[in-house]
Amino acid sequence: MLFNSYEFIFFFLPATAAIFFLFGHFSRVLAIRWLIAASLFFYAWWRPLNVLLIAPSILINFGLARLLMRLARDDKRALVKTVLIVGIVFNVGFLGYFKYANFFVGAVDDAFGTNFVLAKIILPLGISFITFQKIAFLVDVAAKRVVSFTLQDYCLFVLFFPQLIAGPIVHYREVMPQFQRATCRYNSEDMAVGLTLFFGGLFKKAFLADGIAPMVTSIYDQAASGHPITLLYAWMAAIGFTLQIYFDFSGYSDMAIGIARLFGIRLPANFFSPLRATSIVDYWLRWHMTLTRFLTAYLYNPLSLWLTRRRLARGQRGFGGRKTTVGSFVTLLMLPTIFTMCISGLWHGAGYTFIFWGFLHGVFLSINHLWRLLAQRQWADRQRYERVMAPLGWALTVFCAVGAMVFFRSPTMATAWNVLQGMAGRHGVAVPPTVFEHLGSLAGAIRNLGVALGPIDTRFFALLEWIFALGLLAFLCPNSLQVLARYEPALGIDTLAPYKSGPRLRLSWNISFGWAVAVAAVVAVGVAHLGGVSEFLYWHF
Amino acid sequence: MDVLDSDRHTMSERELLGIFSRIVGDLLEDDSIALSMTTRRSDVPDWDSFSYINFFATVEMELNVRYGVADVESFDDVGAIVRRTQALLLAPE
Repeated sequence: MLFNSYEFIFFFLPATAAIFFLFGHFSRVLAIRWLIAASLFFYAWWRPLNVLLIAPSILINFGLARLLMRLARDDKRALVKTVLIVGIVFNVGFLGYFKYANFFVGAVDDAFGTNFVLAKIILPLGISFITFQKIAFLVDVAAKRVVSFTLQDYCLFVLFFPQLIAGPIVHYREVMPQFQRATCRYNSEDMAVGLTLFFGGLFKKAFLADGIAPMVTSIYDQAASGHPITLLYAWMAAIGFTLQIYFDFSGYSDMAIGIARLFGIRLPANFFSPLRATSIVDYWLRWHMTLTRFLTAYLYNPLSLWLTRRRLARGQRGFGGRKTTVGSFVTLLMLPTIFTMCISGLWHGAGYTFIFWGFLHGVFLSINHLWRLLAQRQWADRQRYERVMAPLGWALTVFCAVGAMVFFRSPTMATAWNVLQGMAGRHGVAVPPTVFEHLGSLAGAIRNLGVALGPIDTRFFALLEWIFALGLLAFLCPNSLQVLARYEPALGIDTLAPYKSGPRLRLSWNISFGWAVAVAAVVAVGVAHLGGVSEFLYWHF
Repeated sequence: MDVLDSDRHTMSERELLGIFSRIVGDLLEDDSIALSMTTRRSDVPDWDSFSYINFFATVEMELNVRYGVADVESFDDVGAIVRRTQALLLAPE
């Protein structure tokens, strides 16, 4: 069931919330059990088989976690380590089989000319998100950060429907204490904040992201069919998709955070205006924040710590500060960063384009860190540096993010290459004839520069308008978490100073008639655009 | 210094803060760094995630302790690192 479907908005969500509050009036336990049952129903709606696929994995993880808890309590470190490794291997294997088996079989066929038969494997919904959350839980139990839990606690943690399919990826210690404190009663402030976030997210998704999507898809479809994409169309497709996925996924995250808030639960922030980032490091601290946090904590840090320990044990210098050597930079920063980002790419999708997208970001991050090392040697005045470099850094960050997104969107490497060549001007420049009509006497001069007449294409102008409008919203307007900051809409948000890093337009939501009218308009537009063919891009992952 | 037995001993907050400040100062080439129990990583310019990892590896070498991978991301401030380190110094090897 999609968050932007009639059945979710007009049946599932109101019924689940109403019965939750009703049960909560009599019994907290009953309300929590209802929430688990409703979450299972939500998960099973699309394909009931999903529950049968995911349930054994949940039970096995629960058993392993209980075993880990006992072993950790008895301080049996070697056994804790062994069981933890078994748990991680099991979860990665589970994900690997369902999501990557066919990709690897295909890769072997490509590499060796073999012809292994591809199996028809049903991919359980949201498996990538659920797997990461289960691994994080096992690590937390092994580290004694979770010291007691029941099957009911665990099921609620894994299955809580707002974040079940596409995150945010949460830690047990973030949400379960909230459930333990929750009154499970109706709260008007939670309801107002939650609904505002939810419908704001719906507006982003159903109106903005779905609005630009057909035009972007049209150009990528042409690219996939081998039609050379010319300069302006290629750039518009690349920028258009970056805006589409931003509003799609940040809209989804707002909806997830808003739904959880209806039940009195705050989820961690997942987006914080990434397209306003002034460096690629900053970008990853704002884009899909809970994934970045997971990958840093559970992949990058262990790898980097292991490599650093080895290096220091050999008497070589580690990474850090101005004395950083080329060797330590490559070994301790570049390799783990690129490796982590390649895994991030693979996590997003079983395809070469996703892996290359991750690889590119690993390279960008490494260059960014190298620049920071060099810049601090050359530029002592930090404030002046920020003043001069922040605008340049922003432009370069957007350029890199947009360029890499071409791989993320393209179905094949050839398609991506077609669009990138177009962006580089290798396929020439073409504009619709109406552009020439508006240029008057300049038209001849521009034609002489090699600009060709393209087909009469009204979508050219429509896409341009969408890019302009969405760009204004993404680059210049406050984000939903800033607007709602005083009500602590998500974990990890600075509620006192949400506007430290811009933008100049600053809005602050409150429970008032004026804001009710504004939100009602957002609801009306969002609901009016329901029903089209649409799916959240991240549900595939 | 509070000696508990012949092999393992704990250290005071002050001693550990002195050691941590020296290590961070050495990594970032800034002798003026003086960490306190409430210092956060974000309070120290350039103490990014990369030199943070290196900091732990250096402390491990110097004090003969071993942090868990899960520890590294869990510390809210230097005080939490001090307390964890004291616990590790007390724990049997």
